[in-house]
Formats: sequence, C-alpha cells, structure tokens
Amino acid sequence: MTAPVSRLKIGRTARAALTGLLCLLVLANLLPLVWGVLTSIKGDADLFRFPPTFFGFTPTLEHYERVIASGFLGSMGATVFYAAVTVTATLALALPAAYAFDRFEFPFRQTLFMLVVASIPLSLGAAALLIPNYVYFVQIGLTNTWFVLPLIYTAHQLPMAIWIVKGVIEGIPRELDEAAIVDGGTHADILRHVMLPLSRPALGAAGVLAFVGTWNEFVAGSVMVDAPDLKPVQPMIYSFIGFFGREWGPLTASATLAILPILIAFAFLGRHIVSGLTKGAVKG
Amino acid sequence: MRDTRTPFLLFAPAFALLGFVLLSPVVYAGWFSLQRIEYGAPTGYAGLLNFRRLFDGETLGATFGRTALHTGLSVVLTIAIALALAVWIDRLRPRVGFIVQTIVIVPWIVSTVVATLLFRWVFVNDIGIAAYLIGTVTGGVSGLLTEPGGAMGLLVVVSVWKRIGYAVIVLLAGLKSIPDELEEAARIDGASGWQVFRRITLPLLKTPLLLTAVVLTLSNINTVETPLILTGGGPRDATRVLAIDVYERAFAIFDLGSATALALVMFAGNILLVLAYVKLSRWRA
Repeated sequence: MTAPVSRLKIGRTARAALTGLLCLLVLANLLPLVWGVLTSIKGDADLFRFPPTFFGFTPTLEHYERVIASGFLGSMGATVFYAAVTVTATLALALPAAYAFDRFEFPFRQTLFMLVVASIPLSLGAAALLIPNYVYFVQIGLTNTWFVLPLIYTAHQLPMAIWIVKGVIEGIPRELDEAAIVDGGTHADILRHVMLPLSRPALGAAGVLAFVGTWNEFVAGSVMVDAPDLKPVQPMIYSFIGFFGREWGPLTASATLAILPILIAFAFLGRHIVSGLTKGAVKG
Repeated sequence: MRDTRTPFLLFAPAFALLGFVLLSPVVYAGWFSLQRIEYGAPTGYAGLLNFRRLFDGETLGATFGRTALHTGLSVVLTIAIALALAVWIDRLRPRVGFIVQTIVIVPWIVSTVVATLLFRWVFVNDIGIAAYLIGTVTGGVSGLLTEPGGAMGLLVVVSVWKRIGYAVIVLLAGLKSIPDELEEAARIDGASGWQVFRRITLPLLKTPLLLTAVVLTLSNINTVETPLILTGGGPRDATRVLAIDVYERAFAIFDLGSATALALVMFAGNILLVLAYVKLSRWRA
C-alpha cells in the first residue's frame, strides 16, 4: 500500500516544480515589455544607472514629448487610416466571396477555394514576396501613394478572412436564404439582412486580426512609401533607431506608444482574436 | 443553386485583388530577374546572369546554413515549449487557463519591430538588465550581442519568444478536440501520465503539430525585422540569414537584379511549404 502513496508524493513534488517553472516562463514572457515601459518613463539619470532599478525613480514624460515632437503621432494617424481602410475592404470583399463559396455550385469551385487556402500562408512569405512587389509597383508607378499600403495589406488579410467567415456561414441555416428568395429578395438582400448580422462574430474576429496585422506590418511599409506623412508606425520606429541611436528613452517611448492600441484592442476584443486564430489556426 | 454568374460576381473582386497583389508581381519578377539591371532598371535580356551572380563570393552557402540553423532551432524550441504550456493550460481550471493563455499570447500580438527592439534593450551589452543579471551570476561581463554565437542564440530566443503564443493557440485547439474519454479509458487500464501523453495525446496531435511546424518555418525564414533590428546581420555576418540578405541586396546596396533572383529562389521554397500547409489544413470548399 505504501508504494502508490510515495509515487503519488513524488508526482506531486514534480508537478509543483513543473507548475512553478511554467509560471516563471509565463512571467518571463512579459519581462521585456514591462522593462521597456518602465524605461520609457525614466529620466536620463535613472535610465543609465547601474545596476538597473525597477522602483524608486521619478517618472517623467520627457521622452514621450521628444517622440511626439519628432512626428510620431502623424505616423500613428496614417497607420490608423491604413488599418481602417484595410479592415473595411477586407470584410467587404470577404463576406460575398465566402457566401459564394458556401452557397453556390460552380465550375472549379474546389480549385479556387484551394487557392484561397494557399494564399493564407503565402502572404506570410513577406521577404520573398516583397522584392517582386516592389519592382512591379515601381514599374507601374504605385509606390508613394496613399493607397498602396492598404492595397497590399488587404490582399494579405483577405484569404484568412474568407476562410474564417466561410466557417461561420456554413452554420447559418439555408432555410433563411431560401425564405428570403421566396419573399422576392435578391442575393444582395440576403447578404445584407441575413449573412451580415448572423456572421458578425466571424467578421469581428477577421477584422481584429486584420487590424493587428496592418498595425504591426513592417517590410512593405518601409519600402513602398518614402514621404514622411505616408510612413506607418513600425518603419517610423525603425528610423528612430538610426535617429536616436543609443538614446533608449525615446526609443522605448515610441515602442510603448506603438503597443498601446494593440493592447487596448486586445483587452476589449481578446476573445475575438483567440477565436479568430482558433478558427483559422493558421497564421504565424 | 446552379447559377454560375452570381457566384462569379461575388468572388471576382476578391480574386482580382489577390491576383494583382500576390500573383502578378511574381510573374513580372520572373521576367525582371532575366534582365540585366542597371540602376534599378532593366536594360536587356541577360539570361541567368542574376542567378549566377548569387554564387559570387561563395557567401550564399553559409547564409543558407545560418538560415537552416536559426529556423531549425527556433521551430523545434517553439514547439517543445508551446506543447508543454498547452498541455499545462489544458489541465487548468477554465478561468485560470484563459488568463494564462492571454498572457502567453501577448508577445505574438506585439509587432516584431517592437518586440525585437525591447529585446535589444534588455540584452544591450553594458547597461541592459539581462546583461546585468547574467553578469552577477557568471561574474563576468556579458557580451551576447557582440559574440557570434551569442548573437545567433539571442536571435533564436527572440524568434521563439515571439511565436510561442501562436503555437500554444493551435496546439491547445488540437488538445481540446481530443475526447476526454480516450485518455480516461487509458488511465483506467493503468497507463501512467507519460504513457497516456506518449501513446494517445501525441499521435492525435500529429496534424496540428505538423501544421504549426510548417507555419513557423515559413514565418521564421521570411522575417526580416528580427535580424535587421537585433543585430543587423552581425557581428561579422554571424546572423546574416536569407531574409536580411535579400532585404539588404535590394535596399542597402541597391542590387535589385540579384535581390529579385534570390527572392524568387525563396519564393519557390515558400511554395513547397504552402503545398504542405494546404495538404495539412484539411480544407473543404
């Protein structure tokens, strides 16, 4: 009788140790972010103090003032605009496409949908796609326009959005569209009055993912536009590295400002992000 | 409904955009890569010149090697840690599990630029907090970012840290889809926790594990920001991986010819991964 008991005990200690280790891992996960935010509100004297301190300094907003004076809010505004256009265009294109794939029979339906699925990871291949995109868009004169980034971003976010929205439309009973047709409704009516309201959770999930993807994009934003008022947030932070050099105060302040909208979106719509990812379960 | 015109009108705008942004540039780049490129402009047919020039100086092989090392290590470590976390979260009470999951996801939704910048700050050689902590433990001065091995190690750490959240979500969804009865039945038959995991859970997780591996490989190979901001490819080319090589060819030394050729080689590799992804994702129209 004693053997199982001691085995249980060893199991318990091992489990406690393992739980402790995993908790530590989860906390270490947040350390760089917390340390960055703390740095951004330290004055220069506290910032370069060695050994580094977590507490006992006078918080200051001087680094934020410098970052804002360097035009960071303009970049944030431009990125909000890009994100708004991208999210709207992505959802407006995804809903009818998802509806077509779920409710209609047409030639090459499987092949065409396979192309949508294949485009999901393809848009992850940023480094490989960027150069072709760049040389082609230079050739046809699309670089340095206000719409080139939303155009690219919408194409990157669209396949995932079609996939997520189609998953939800599958669950909407066909009797509803048939009833609408009997009442003399068109496909546009079905889209507006049946699909749009009933697929709202999927649109929310796809929309949040598109927003996060647009807000965080770097490579296209850094090479497709030059004009300062067209530069999105991430390339702006990168150019700050050259501009501020080893001044970590302004650098961490700009990083904190750039995380803020994402954390706010996450706090309010975190469940949407998780459900969108789980539905698609497909992007890195 | 048998009606070809309506569905075509419904999906045509989406496909037009995907064709224009994802497909037509690759076709154009295929033509562009066969031209002699002077000052960024094509000046006449040159055959495979741009592709042959990739092998000038014999640095490409080493770059491929570093890319394989960085991506291989990052993918294996990400999946190992994410699997442990996912199994743990799956056993927590739902409310606690959701909180832990949320914390784990945070690095994934933060941009790669910001994440890498903050890591560089934490590990910066003289005044970074990690350098200080490592220094107090080892008694020496830490110079992770200035030593070739340390820089590559740190590149792997950032890549893993950034993507654990994604892998946890996919694996957790896979774990949740395994019926509890299977594991319970095995336990009643006397199987230990490890045996249940090894013989039941792991085989049933095969598809999500492979899918995660494909996506992580694709995203690690193609990420420019992490090496660009963490190390700039240094010290002494120790972290010069494919993504930064192609980026610098195009936008630092303005050699668009060889940059396009290399990008197309990468694109061909990406297509192989995309095919694996399509096969694994079990889509149906």
